[in-house]
Amino acid sequence: MTVLVPVKGFEQKNWAKIIAELKSINMLTPRVQKRWKEWENAPLYLCPESSLSFTKSWKQTEGLPLTLRWAKAVAAILDETPLRIWDGELIVGSPTKYLRGCDVIAAMFPKRLLKSLEEGVIDNKVSERATALITDEDRKLLEEDARYWADKLPPDYANDLRREILGEEIFDLMMDRAQVLEGIPLRAHREEELGIFGPMWGLGGVFYYRWEKLMEHGLLGVIEKAEAEIKRVEEEGAGVATISREACERYILAKSMIVACKAIIRYAGRYAALARNMAANEGNPVRKRELEKIAEICDWVPANQPRNFWEALQFIHFMRLVGFKENPYCRDTSLGRIDQVLYPYYEKDLKEGRFTLNELAELLALFWIKTRTFDSFDPERRDVRHAPGTLLPNVTIGGADEKGNDVTNEVSCLILEVMRQLRLSEPAVYVRFHKNMSDEFLIYALECNRDYGGGNPAFLNDELGTKRYLERGVPPKDAVDWIASGCLGYHLVSCIHATGTYNLNLCKIFEITLNNGFDPRTGKQLGLKTGEVSKFTSVEQLIDAFLKQVDYFAEKLRMVYFVDRIAFLTSPRHVHSPLANTLTHFDYTLPKGEPLGEGAAPYPDGIMVWFGDRGTTDIADSIAAIKYLVFDQKKITMQQLLEAIRANWEGCEDIRQMCLNVPKYGNDDPYVDDIHTYIWEKTQEILQKRPDPFTGRKNFTFKGAATGHIVHGRVVGALPNGRLAYTPINDGASSAMPGMDRNAPTATIKSATKVSYSRLTGGPLNMKFSRSLVNTREKLEKLAAMVKTFFDRGGWHIQFNILNPEELIAAKKNPEKYKHLIVRVGGYSAYFVDLPPSVQDEIIARTLHGM
Amino acid sequence: MVAEGVIFNIQRYSLDDGPGIRTIVFLKGCPLKCLWCANPEGQKHTPEVAHRDSLCNKCMRCVQVCPMKAISVDAEGIRINRDLCSVCGECAKVCNREALGIYGKSMTVEEVFEEVIKDVDFYKKSNGGVTASGGEPLFQSEFTAALFKKCLEAGIGTVLETSGYAEEDNLKKVLSYTDLVLYDLKCADPKLHIQLTGVSNNLILKNLSIASNLVPLIIRVPVIPNCNDSQQEVEAMAQIIIQNGIDKVELMPYHRFGMGKYKMLDRNYFLEELERPSDGLLQKVKEIFESYGLACKIVA
Repeated sequence: MTVLVPVKGFEQKNWAKIIAELKSINMLTPRVQKRWKEWENAPLYLCPESSLSFTKSWKQTEGLPLTLRWAKAVAAILDETPLRIWDGELIVGSPTKYLRGCDVIAAMFPKRLLKSLEEGVIDNKVSERATALITDEDRKLLEEDARYWADKLPPDYANDLRREILGEEIFDLMMDRAQVLEGIPLRAHREEELGIFGPMWGLGGVFYYRWEKLMEHGLLGVIEKAEAEIKRVEEEGAGVATISREACERYILAKSMIVACKAIIRYAGRYAALARNMAANEGNPVRKRELEKIAEICDWVPANQPRNFWEALQFIHFMRLVGFKENPYCRDTSLGRIDQVLYPYYEKDLKEGRFTLNELAELLALFWIKTRTFDSFDPERRDVRHAPGTLLPNVTIGGADEKGNDVTNEVSCLILEVMRQLRLSEPAVYVRFHKNMSDEFLIYALECNRDYGGGNPAFLNDELGTKRYLERGVPPKDAVDWIASGCLGYHLVSCIHATGTYNLNLCKIFEITLNNGFDPRTGKQLGLKTGEVSKFTSVEQLIDAFLKQVDYFAEKLRMVYFVDRIAFLTSPRHVHSPLANTLTHFDYTLPKGEPLGEGAAPYPDGIMVWFGDRGTTDIADSIAAIKYLVFDQKKITMQQLLEAIRANWEGCEDIRQMCLNVPKYGNDDPYVDDIHTYIWEKTQEILQKRPDPFTGRKNFTFKGAATGHIVHGRVVGALPNGRLAYTPINDGASSAMPGMDRNAPTATIKSATKVSYSRLTGGPLNMKFSRSLVNTREKLEKLAAMVKTFFDRGGWHIQFNILNPEELIAAKKNPEKYKHLIVRVGGYSAYFVDLPPSVQDEIIARTLHGM
Repeated sequence: MVAEGVIFNIQRYSLDDGPGIRTIVFLKGCPLKCLWCANPEGQKHTPEVAHRDSLCNKCMRCVQVCPMKAISVDAEGIRINRDLCSVCGECAKVCNREALGIYGKSMTVEEVFEEVIKDVDFYKKSNGGVTASGGEPLFQSEFTAALFKKCLEAGIGTVLETSGYAEEDNLKKVLSYTDLVLYDLKCADPKLHIQLTGVSNNLILKNLSIASNLVPLIIRVPVIPNCNDSQQEVEAMAQIIIQNGIDKVELMPYHRFGMGKYKMLDRNYFLEELERPSDGLLQKVKEIFESYGLACKIVA
């Protein structure tokens, strides 16, 4: 393993001066405010244009190879999509014809779309249920399109093969039944989700554009590479009697890329023409010049390498826009390390006097708003959703290079300042903290967190993030180049994580263990017979039984993944990875003729699944309660406890109170922390026991958050930790049960850092602070010291919500007055008023440290 | 062998009582009875039973278990006949809802140290440590000195937060193991001092001149509206401070967060109508101190 040694004498920036200068800039210029307000006040509309273009093209290309067909469909969408340049914009490219709108492609999930239209989730007027609006005319077009596709559903390859190999009973474990296994692919009934592209690529994948590589070449450069590849294959064909199948794939992929690149360049060209046309009719000479400038920029990028900061932002926006046009369901597209990408442009523009600092700040602020305008249609009814749809455009800043040098720069600060002043719920910002980062920057990031109010930015352990990849054999140069992605994932810029996550519901497994393998909800014997727990004579016996069940279900989980992957690789391809992403990794995909995720990745981790679990804290607290009350203090018998939880505590409130008042995780109490650590390590050992069947390597493990804890909780009865049946389990495997971290933040941090984060991602520590703990510079310095201690002790991910309870209760009562109040739920931020009451209550219940 | 101390709270991640991240050890027992005291549970030296009526579900187990028959429960909540109560703690043991609890616990130096050492990583990163507060930590000077000695040996910094009301010997005993003193100055006028705190400030002022010669010291002035905030009083306090060669003052704005605890202990609170001092008042007091060349900070 390479040891990272900082280079002495690496230039230290004058952070205090940089930060003071940026703080003095007002990011909320009239132009920025106008763009923000117009977007914020606009209703969300669903648009049919992309769907119609797609269908029309698909009907015309029936005989062509899939990849080429896909590229031509993308080209059709881009050639026909309506264009808009909104008033005052400098970064252009509107996702739809509306101020706030989103596309759907009926071919992807036709039945779900029809159901949403029927249920009023999409409606022509605002209602409790409506997630998005649609005009009557557009509705008619979209319905017709969806009906066409609903008749053309492909077979359910994954489920058919699961049935064939694993038997019908495997479905009992899946999400819509007992839900021992959880994850986006793990549904027994997928009919609604089937479309010609299936669910595999629609959700759960995590994509990223390699900006530096792509910008260096421009799309014209990519076309050149593809043409060279075509020539190579043609020469091979001319020189030998037979040509390999793989060469044919390469040929088609290269052809397809050229089709897509040319379409993207045409799309930017259409914007240039629109801007020029608007300029001709513009009376205001200042705006006229701006529009002419916009036209010039759209003619240049993304075809060519950007020449300045403005063009770089426009480049990024166009490419992300194209990604959404290609696949409007593809939510998880990280923005990545844009401080690194943009810095050379920033530095050069300032040095050469091309732009002032204020102008650069305004451009970034406009870009920030533009990023927020991407919307993905959420088919869940608004009144029952877990959380508002998020597109997870995570920004990662800071970090160290392969020599250990701090790479934090002025753009890192500018990003934080834009985030702080604009207070949009997205993008979320992640700071890669390491020991050579300046204290001044860390304190500033914490100050931004406080002022932003909702746990943004979050902090990740840079050294650990890099080390995990070094240990997997990734060379240092690529190992240091990683970004936060999805909700609580992270991955290498040079790879994509595309296979989604397969999770175990530990709480369900614990419930099954307490019932000797029987699941009370489905009324079936799903697990092993590990013994009647009421006859157990020690808590160790219970832990053993639980781990045996975990091992049993982990094998099922792995087998389901194994079969899914076979189905994916062997069934006729109806699914394709988004081309916009494939072409940004052209130097890996072109020579192999395979899209990313199907083999073309520089490292095996690029196609590896993550095996995860949720519920470690609930299990630790539950076992501790049993150990304390049944075995150590003998206050109640196991039978009494079992009866109480089976009755969901009804008539047994005293027992529930006893269970709530025993030692709880999160208080630096070894009585329960030791159990937590043991369960944490053992479950991971079990999940990693068998190597990945396709790479032969150990999988990363994952402890997820976001709103998965609500989904898991819905199927699990009362637990001995005092939790009520069917309520959410604890979010984030290292956060304490809400209201139970009563000791101090330092105690919670110690509890959370007794475990090892070396083989997993996720498991964030969510902490909530009252403002009085962070209201002075001195207290922020102390908070910085605490964050550093967290990382010194091996912590991976920490984030703070800084709120006061009165504010939250008032916000719950008068949402209209608190429209901008932001909280972080699991791995991302959301507006508090958008959250359902159950999540609001959970946030309020979190211990207020220091109140 | 040092006797056990009586402790009523150990609070980690404390940010306002000395440098860095600190753990405050609250020692029970105080010779003063300040009208505004926010820690009434720190006044009596011996443990006390406290009741939190909002958590009580009237299960009556405490009534049944009390050997002194000192507890009754009515519509208002839990009633404790304090004349009968022997503080045996049986009631708290049977209460599943934490509606009854005991303030004050006898602990050895080792036991307290074990709690304090838990955050040593955080002290090291932040230049923090332990702070002894109360009550009045000098009221248990043997214990405080022994605890501080043990902390210093382990490389943990020590801060003493005191009213200064103690025997000179007891003060010196603790100061030999103290890095920094946060010394309360509640008012300058001796008569007013008796009215506000129940004791004269003669001893306090005498000890101040001793302490300020031995250990770095910061003065803390509670700002209590209409009690010690007159121009004359503040100027008199400033005089005392500079006479002792001290250059730092911290203002502690009055707050009512302690009010609930009086009810839990069945005590009367005399300042129910008083509100937190306005920012204007605090600023004014600050400026007076500053006019005497003192560095003055409002702790908020």
